[in-house]
Amino acid sequence: MSENILKFSMNRCTSVEPVDETTLKSVCRLTDTFTSACVEILVRLPDLEIVAVQGQFHHEWRQLSDPNEVLQKVLGVRVGSGMLKIIKGLMGDAEDLDQLTYMVEECCHGIILALTRDILIKAPVNQEGKLEFFSKMVRDNIRLYNRCAAFAPGTRLTQGIEPPQ
Amino acid sequence: MLKFARNKLVGVARKNDDVLSIHGVLDDDIYSVEVDLCVGIKDLTFLSIEGKWHRWTTPECPRAIEFLQEAQGFCIDETIDGKIHKIVGRKACRHFANLLIECCYAAREAARVVGWEAAKEDQPDLALKDFVAAKAAAPGETAQQKSASAEQRGAPEKSADTPIIQAQQEKSKPDPLESQKGAAGCVIDLHVHTFPASPCSSASEDQLIQEARRIGLNGICLTDHNHVWSAAQVEDLRQKHGFLILRGNEITTDQGDMLVFGLEKDIKGIVKLQDLKEEVARAEGFIIAAHPFRGFLTFGAGELGLTPERAAQRALFQWVDAIEVMNGKVTVKENNLAASVAAKLGLPATGGSDAHDMTEVGCYATRFSTPIQTEAELIAALKSGDYLAVPFRQEKELFHSSYVEKETV
Repeated sequence: MSENILKFSMNRCTSVEPVDETTLKSVCRLTDTFTSACVEILVRLPDLEIVAVQGQFHHEWRQLSDPNEVLQKVLGVRVGSGMLKIIKGLMGDAEDLDQLTYMVEECCHGIILALTRDILIKAPVNQEGKLEFFSKMVRDNIRLYNRCAAFAPGTRLTQGIEPPQ
Repeated sequence: MLKFARNKLVGVARKNDDVLSIHGVLDDDIYSVEVDLCVGIKDLTFLSIEGKWHRWTTPECPRAIEFLQEAQGFCIDETIDGKIHKIVGRKACRHFANLLIECCYAAREAARVVGWEAAKEDQPDLALKDFVAAKAAAPGETAQQKSASAEQRGAPEKSADTPIIQAQQEKSKPDPLESQKGAAGCVIDLHVHTFPASPCSSASEDQLIQEARRIGLNGICLTDHNHVWSAAQVEDLRQKHGFLILRGNEITTDQGDMLVFGLEKDIKGIVKLQDLKEEVARAEGFIIAAHPFRGFLTFGAGELGLTPERAAQRALFQWVDAIEVMNGKVTVKENNLAASVAAKLGLPATGGSDAHDMTEVGCYATRFSTPIQTEAELIAALKSGDYLAVPFRQEKELFHSSYVEKETV
């Protein structure tokens, strides 16, 4: 037995592109030792509602009769706060659906990150400007306070910011 | 042209007889991180974890690395994703957490391969599919884990035998509606969460009620997540504290969270808003869209030009009776958008703290023009539309400071 040969490998890619001025398409593709799957959602701006969804799922031993039937349950869900609970709840918690559900979530995260990128690109390059930029981000979106190591109390980014009640 | 792309690559090798070695890479337009994780094959427990940044955003992001160590000892079971989100995502970085979840998935699948290879030594013709099916059919530890994690997820139930009213308190029972005396109308916090009924809350019902009394609210509604309080429990609390306690429920639907009054049904899981509306209508209850724009205006999403006119077109508003326009857990901008939409649609507007901690109760509330003493009266008052959302604590502070000022002069 060679120690260097992988027992399992996976590659997951999520990409987001505009379809038109008010629609974004997010696609998540998974290829691993056992799985070949793809989920695609269309999200309408500005309210970020999922307006179309489709997918394929092939697995070594898991059989999904019709992944598209399950996927249609997330139509109308809004990409944003609280979406994970809603998506999981609508798609169900059957083990066979774990990956399909996760891929819908990844598509949604892709949308959020694509929009986040548009903001982050405006961050100043110099250190002082960056501190001010991200500190303002926390001030404007107080929910970010203490949401990660960077925005924890005591960091330079949260100095002078009152914790949310 | 792509607006964003994220690639994740995970490989799992067998380091030795007992350990799996997992290497994960996440690389996207914004972040680039790596994780090296060692996991015990037998119990899938984290033995070591190392992280590395290549690209990040804020000057403080590198601090996340040290907090990855808090995941040491984690076991890859049914609760692992939640633990990673909570500990790694919140204390370190959500992008490391995201990659770590992929590593756990890969480790679980690799352990399956290792198990199958071992089984094949005795049964050379054993197909992977058959091995997996046999494992799934075998009862044992997995089932126990399932049951344990299900217990952890659910709210601990109150014992029916728990004496809510202590004998000592029986002696001098306060008037349950003492808080209503002398008030022409009343101010009620319509949105409050208690522990353990809402596992996300840190305050017991007693703590919240005492604080609500102290700050001068006339009553509160217990609106725990998908949890139904019995009328007897609430009556006991009323008697115990001499304070108006009413029942509601915060139910998660496909269109977000809804505050529901007058529906005793114990709803679990996620329901379609339209179905919920029909149930509530049958029960002659009332349904309020809770924090309808929570998170709408963060990051780039806030710059997409979501106008009140456009926001008012959201399908959910056709199924609700009112809109919560003052919620203690959202930003002022998000509350303002909700208020604009309510005004545009001519829907009544309510306020509630969404308190999950004692200090939060009453930050926002609803001022009714008539006194309310029962659930039936609450629903009637809600249906009348004769009320206002108010920043209760702020008003109290202003009143107090102007009173102190006058006294000093």
